[in-house]
Amino acid sequence: MKILLLLGWASLLSAQYRVALPGYVYQFPADHFSHPDFQTEWWYYTGNLRDTQGRELGFELTFFRQGVDAQAKPGIWAVRDVYLAHLAFTDITGQRFYHAERLNRPGPGLAGADAATRRVWNGNWQVTWRTESEIDLQAIDPRFSLKLTLQSRKAPVIHGENGVSQKAQGAGRASHYVSLSRLAVSGEVKIGEETRQVSGQAWMDHEFFTHQLDAEQTGWDWMSLQLNDGRELMMFQLRRRDGTIDPYSSGTLVERDGQTRHLSRIKMTPGRRWKNYPVEWTVEAAGLKLIVKSRLDAQELLSKRPQSPTYWEGAVAITGDATGVGYLEMTGYDKPVSFGPLK
Amino acid sequence: MIGLFARLILRPLRAEPVRTLLTVLSVALGIAVVLAIELASDAATGSFRSSLETVAGEADYEVTAVGGLDERLYAKLATLPLAVNVRPRMEDHALLVESKQTLPLIGLDLVAHALDARFETTSFEPGLILASATGRKVGEQVTLRVNDHDHLLTVRAIVASDTAFALVDIGVAQELLKRPGKIDRLLIDAPESFESRLKEALPAGATLAPFGARTEENRKMLAGFRSNLVILSYIALVVGAFLIYNTISVSVVRRRAEIGILRAIGMTSTTVLAMFLAEALLFGLAGIAIGVPLGRLMAEAAVGAIGATVQNLYVSSQPGVIALSFLATLKAVIAGLTVTLAAAWAPAREAAAVAPVEAMARGRKDYEVGQQQYRHLAIAAACALAAFGASFAPPIGRRPLFGYLAAALLVLAASLATPAFVHFVTRATRDLLRKLLGVEGLLASQSLDAALRRTAVLIAALITAVAMLVSVGIMVGSFRETVIQWIDSQLRADIFLQPAVPAGGDRFPTLSPDIAGRVAALPMVAMVDQFRAYPIHFRGLPVTLGSGDANVVKRRGAFHLLEGDPDEAYPQMLTSDAAIVSEPFVNKHGVHMGDTIQLPLGDQVRPIRVVGVYTDYSNERGYIIMHRERLLRYLPDPAPSNLAIYLKPGTQVIAAQRAIEAALSDARVLVLPNQTLRREAILIFDRTFAITYALELVAVFVAVTGVAGALLALVIDRRRELSLLRFLGAARTQIRKLILCEAGLIGLLSVAGGMLLGGILSLVLVYVINKQSFGWSIQFHAPIAILLGALTIIFTATLLAGLYPARVALALNPIEVIHEE
Repeated sequence: MKILLLLGWASLLSAQYRVALPGYVYQFPADHFSHPDFQTEWWYYTGNLRDTQGRELGFELTFFRQGVDAQAKPGIWAVRDVYLAHLAFTDITGQRFYHAERLNRPGPGLAGADAATRRVWNGNWQVTWRTESEIDLQAIDPRFSLKLTLQSRKAPVIHGENGVSQKAQGAGRASHYVSLSRLAVSGEVKIGEETRQVSGQAWMDHEFFTHQLDAEQTGWDWMSLQLNDGRELMMFQLRRRDGTIDPYSSGTLVERDGQTRHLSRIKMTPGRRWKNYPVEWTVEAAGLKLIVKSRLDAQELLSKRPQSPTYWEGAVAITGDATGVGYLEMTGYDKPVSFGPLK
Repeated sequence: MIGLFARLILRPLRAEPVRTLLTVLSVALGIAVVLAIELASDAATGSFRSSLETVAGEADYEVTAVGGLDERLYAKLATLPLAVNVRPRMEDHALLVESKQTLPLIGLDLVAHALDARFETTSFEPGLILASATGRKVGEQVTLRVNDHDHLLTVRAIVASDTAFALVDIGVAQELLKRPGKIDRLLIDAPESFESRLKEALPAGATLAPFGARTEENRKMLAGFRSNLVILSYIALVVGAFLIYNTISVSVVRRRAEIGILRAIGMTSTTVLAMFLAEALLFGLAGIAIGVPLGRLMAEAAVGAIGATVQNLYVSSQPGVIALSFLATLKAVIAGLTVTLAAAWAPAREAAAVAPVEAMARGRKDYEVGQQQYRHLAIAAACALAAFGASFAPPIGRRPLFGYLAAALLVLAASLATPAFVHFVTRATRDLLRKLLGVEGLLASQSLDAALRRTAVLIAALITAVAMLVSVGIMVGSFRETVIQWIDSQLRADIFLQPAVPAGGDRFPTLSPDIAGRVAALPMVAMVDQFRAYPIHFRGLPVTLGSGDANVVKRRGAFHLLEGDPDEAYPQMLTSDAAIVSEPFVNKHGVHMGDTIQLPLGDQVRPIRVVGVYTDYSNERGYIIMHRERLLRYLPDPAPSNLAIYLKPGTQVIAAQRAIEAALSDARVLVLPNQTLRREAILIFDRTFAITYALELVAVFVAVTGVAGALLALVIDRRRELSLLRFLGAARTQIRKLILCEAGLIGLLSVAGGMLLGGILSLVLVYVINKQSFGWSIQFHAPIAILLGALTIIFTATLLAGLYPARVALALNPIEVIHEE
């Protein structure tokens, strides 16, 4: 469950697109790439890393595809879809947070998600699938860059029930949602002129849908938790305009052996806040009670463009019934999130 | 000291307000012209950045290729594993039909820029973004004429900007400009350390250059043009210097007695020197006070003319805003003060050298010029000889510095020789004058010779101004005649066809490729030649690469080959990578007949052999011309820039023009009969040189003003003599005739001397300065009628300048004056 930041660009003619319905049969590796008949699609890579000197780091590399006009006049510069990408980097030890964003159309090869070349990319930020369980990440910014190899330890996790992750009442108010919940990371990270060898854990989310939320839902809190006992937990809660939590909030537990369990009853209790964001949580799910704390408070992504919403996404540490690390995302704290046509 | 200054210097100045005013005005005009040209050429030549590079134009590097870059290169560079930022750009010009405004049309990747708050894009609908300077509003529909087509577009957004421009998405730009698959430039932000890795990623024909190199090249190209203009503007100041010299000399001569007394009672010679330099400084400062604001005003008038020249000959740019910069003002002030003080130096030193006793003795000291004449003549001869030598020296960095030196030496030589000239001519014509004009003529001639010290300077000033007028007149006239002859040989076709949008020195709008065929299919058309031009860069300078049909050229002979044999050159162009180049190209790049040049074409670099050199006066950048089919191999864009249409014998041009216009009614094209185009070309030529004429006129005006002032001084000085004449029975009309005769004589002498000097200077201008700075060969041709007209006007003006002093002379009361004694 992730967010889309393409808001502010009207022209969402959802009727042109297909919606996520139960019974979807996944086919990998093709389903790791683009689904242009759905309006919105994203690929998220997040992870907690440590360099050879013990420095703690976090990263987020995400690619969004947003359908703008399925009937756009064909042509290399046509704006049928736009691709947005975010790159964020948390120097936990150094208490610094960097982020960057870019927007492109596919154009003559500027961005895309292509099953034939097994690539998802936006400029020189890219994900290349070497095999079905081995993925290369590359992201370059003048201030920081990363070059990582991810080894998937478990089979793809399909969230929800019957191939759909329901988000609200009504057919199609749902997404197709796949994760790689345990990715072993090795590679290098460059901060300024300094290159560091790193290793750690990463998580991949891939979700595609058309207009999944309803008008009463104002935002969500999502987390991916990688426990040291070999299990993983994904959960999200949808907040409603009246202050209640939407009953469609849910989660998934992934066992050590990759078996998954859909969790329809989860409890997420906000604790300490930084700005508006609750950066500490107590969560209860699958019989576990966990304390989730941000590893750095200032992990807020602000867009260069004032109309775009801001959100918080960052590395977290887990204590309580189990220990581990993960990533937390919180949206709709500055203004309600909406996928509908704005203005 | 100050009291002394007031008495010795200020009081006489106040006593003759008209003369003081005239001197100040001439200095002010000189300074104003210098400043105006500086400001106007700054605005007109320094503005390509503001024209095409206002929008998202800053970068570290830029990638370009002749004929455009493959759009896939954008993605290739954007996905390189390097921390670089790559932005594509399309650039051309369009006509906003509703307001008849020509503005830069820029294509950017607006999707990538959508994160940039400046553009406030709220949708990805293709549409138009306009600068607020266009005065349009969001939601309006406007017609944009690009090449030969009109496009109706909706204004999607307005960006605040003082310079007008139109902005569209890259894909829209490709469509409007009909450059599918092509990008004009890629701007790159990257540290220097990536340069070599970026270069590796480029195809052979593409060039990576530091950003702004192109602007630099344009500046380099325009530097020569600018320096010529600026030097021309200093002429007015030099003429002003003569007048300062004259004024100070007059005040020294008239105050000899006072100086003598002051020296006798103990004033040092340094103080005397300082006094007269202070007088000059006073003129300089007053001139500056008037000249600076005047220059700012004159710049407004000049910028349009200079801007038009820049457009025609060099590069598309909208004249920028005229900014009265501190530096330009300082330059004008320093130039003004330096010239004023330098001019005053000699008379002031003479004043300082006055020995007390000598001065106390009554009597003028005007007559000791004689023994100096021969020395001055010798120096003049040496100067002339040096000038002759300097005119053979090569240019320095494409600037004809020695040519300017030769011109300056010639002016100096002429000034030094002027007293002798006046002396001998007045002596020689004395009897003739007496016969023609009676006793007044004789007296006038004698008094000119007698007051040689003063009159010579005056005549030298006028000679300089006239010489400049004559020489530049001859240069421009020769140029004009040469161009007309060239147009006659170049414009062989009966009808020419081009897109109905303004073209320029580096701007070649194109026609739809099918137009040539449609015209050729008309029954009265015998042949159609398609000409295509690309603005390219060769060895760091802008050049025009063109293509035409060598077959047609061979048959009709539109090029006049200076070097190379038409029977060999054209067949070689048909069958191999051979080109003919224009004379300015050869002179600028030192390329010779038979050389092979490496030309980047598309994504490769091709060796091209030079098989001919032809005369061309249309473009100072220089041309490289290849055969059309040959160039299409490397640059496959078939759209021509213009068509030359040859009609079948016996066809009426007007009828053919109508038929072509009817056949192409769907396209926005101009169908120009040979005669019209010829007229237009000459019009452009005249417009180009309008500013030169204006500068000339100012110089002459300054000189004539000087004549009036100096005659006035002469009259006041000679009031005793004039009164005596009246006393002895001279009629009022006779006095008036005497003064007017003097004025007329000054005018005649100046015109004669000016013609002589101007004739010599024009040789330097035509064969040295022009050739070295533009690379054009000009055939000498004196526009006699125009020159005679101008000289008559100058003569008349000098005569008229005598009217006021004549009136002053008449107003003198002889009895009163004699009583003074």
